Amino acid sequence: MYLDPLVFLATGVAFALIALAGSATAVRSAWRGRMTPMRAAAIADQRADLKGRLATVYALAPNLPNSSLWPYLIEDTYGARNSFEPSRIEPRWLSQSVYALLAALVLAAVLLPRVIAERLGGGAITAQGGSPDAITADINDLDIRPADPALAPNAEIYADAATLQRLQERMAQEQAAGGGALSKLMDRARSLAGALQGKIDGRPSGPQPPVRMHLTDRGSANGSGAPGSNKPPGNQAKTDGGGADTGNNPPGSNQPPPMEASSPPDDELAGKSGSQQGMNPADSKGADGDSSVASGSAQGASHGSGSDPSDLFGDPSAQRLGNDSFKIAIDAEPSDEASGPGTPGYLPPKVRVAINPQQYPDEPLARALVPPADQMTIKRVFER
Amino acid sequence: MSEAVAVTAERATIADFARVFRRIQAEVHKVIVGHELAVEQLLSALFAGGHVLIEGVPGTGKTTLVKVLGLVLNLSFNRIQFTVDLMPADITGTRVILSGDGRREFTFQPGPIFCHLLLGDEINRATPKTQSALLEAMAELQVTVSGTTYPLAPPYFVMATLNPIEMEGTYPLPEAQLDRFLLKVRLGYPAERELVRIISSTTGPDEAGIEPVFAAGEAAHRIEELKRLVREVMVAPAIEQYAARMVRATQPDNARILGDERSPVKVDAVNRYVSFGASPRGAQALILGAKVRAMLDARANIAYEDIEEVAAAALEHRLMLNYAAHSDSVDASAIVDQVVRAVRAARD
Repeated sequence: MYLDPLVFLATGVAFALIALAGSATAVRSAWRGRMTPMRAAAIADQRADLKGRLATVYALAPNLPNSSLWPYLIEDTYGARNSFEPSRIEPRWLSQSVYALLAALVLAAVLLPRVIAERLGGGAITAQGGSPDAITADINDLDIRPADPALAPNAEIYADAATLQRLQERMAQEQAAGGGALSKLMDRARSLAGALQGKIDGRPSGPQPPVRMHLTDRGSANGSGAPGSNKPPGNQAKTDGGGADTGNNPPGSNQPPPMEASSPPDDELAGKSGSQQGMNPADSKGADGDSSVASGSAQGASHGSGSDPSDLFGDPSAQRLGNDSFKIAIDAEPSDEASGPGTPGYLPPKVRVAINPQQYPDEPLARALVPPADQMTIKRVFER
Repeated sequence: MSEAVAVTAERATIADFARVFRRIQAEVHKVIVGHELAVEQLLSALFAGGHVLIEGVPGTGKTTLVKVLGLVLNLSFNRIQFTVDLMPADITGTRVILSGDGRREFTFQPGPIFCHLLLGDEINRATPKTQSALLEAMAELQVTVSGTTYPLAPPYFVMATLNPIEMEGTYPLPEAQLDRFLLKVRLGYPAERELVRIISSTTGPDEAGIEPVFAAGEAAHRIEELKRLVREVMVAPAIEQYAARMVRATQPDNARILGDERSPVKVDAVNRYVSFGASPRGAQALILGAKVRAMLDARANIAYEDIEEVAAAALEHRLMLNYAAHSDSVDASAIVDQVVRAVRAARD
């Protein structure tokens, strides 16, 4: 018996809260149980509504008070002895904190046979030969959801063509169903993060495209690069986290992101981190190998330094300019004057911000052929 | 056997205290409609051996209450209407020249302070000098005039009334004198139901027939006996610590006179609004008032609840509030209420 992750999470939180509350109660009970006779008398007074008679008698008895009312107090307290008998003051033989333990044991006893039966009968996921590196999973029991962009791919799936076809159908079903509650929650979390980031960056915030799951064929992506082409089963497929897809697509486009350039073996279904898709290809050190995009970025960089007249002229730009994402590189040296000697300074993290899909790419000026007669004039303008 | 007899006698004595107390209450309420708590606090102060400050707006029965109490207790009763031109000698008495047998000599003429029950009506209308004439009598049961000390006959019970709304031309009582009043009793406006009873009982031809509880010759003796019995009530050390902690909690942390030790119970309102908290007399008032309450409950010991019940009357007039309290319209009763809750929570 396995719980849905969301249910598991909620159940875990609930159990944690119950455990914390139970621990606090147990500690409090233990602290109160640190009993002295004076404290016991005070508690008996309180529970038997003796208005302090018992505690007063106990406190004053060692040194008999010089009061004519002392015999009266003794007799008065003794007369109320029925009200502070142990059976009335503390009627429970067992502490109430035991009930939580008993409840946990009963629950475990109820669940144990089911767990044992499932272990013996085999579950949806079984390890082959006892090795955790090779796992056979029942495709009907898979819970498919977009990969977390923060996670790197950590598994490879091998299957025959029919199985991959079924997997593709399952993914399509999941996508049509909206991906489940957890997926919706992740979408909302991403939307919130995007809105916050948009406010910070000054970008207009708008509805984010939904997270999409898709299959890609790495083998055919090498060369043709036709986006959205679904290869038949048997070719390599890739599940992609949709959060970064939004960075690759123009606004309103339903086109899948560009294919990966590398070509792993066939029948490989690799979970791919969406964050790599969303990254600037120039920053990915060629891992994805999108050379056209990388060169476009380089062109933009050289044209971006427009204040330098030496870069103004050259051959007209033939390639597609611009990029669908940008990078902010912070090269400042960390400095922390408040920290003492030997204390490591604060290292600012590199910031990579995916471009808003509703924002037009920031394209640099394209080179154009300038007549030699006008070159001097333009140069003077930029030198000013 | 003898111990059993003693217990029986003490049980009868405690029962007698409660019976006398309730009878006095009943007689007073023949005239005073409502104000049950005020009457109980007034009698508690009497049997605890203290004095009481009665605060209330005009027409709420302050003077009537005290006069009726004098009649019910059958004790000598004097009333002083405090005015701005009242002099100390008008209260304590003075030496006058009397002639007789051909001689003229100074003779002490006792003032109205010489009685059992003294009503100081609108005490804040007299100057501080005149107000202070009461100090020695209240604290030490004696009066010194021209170097001669005259004792006062017990029981001696001062009831001073204050009018809190007519402050023009008044002299607020100094803290030293306020501190000498065991309890402060508040008299508010009666409820509508009580007002109807007041109208019907005071505008008709019939007057309420008040019967003295004590015979004329034995009243002082009986009251002194009951006062001694109240002192016999026992207090557990934990209860004494509770009262002490409550008094300490009324003192702000920033008070210069506190010394190094700070109260373990912190009350924000005290630190914000109180300049000076209750004095040790406040702790005494807590215990003595609680003893009377214990006796009324036929107990020979004080409970925590007794301390809490008497806290408002015993501590309110001992708190010296600062300007922030007046600015925020915070009164002492609200602060004492917070103190009681904080100390109770610390106990639990």
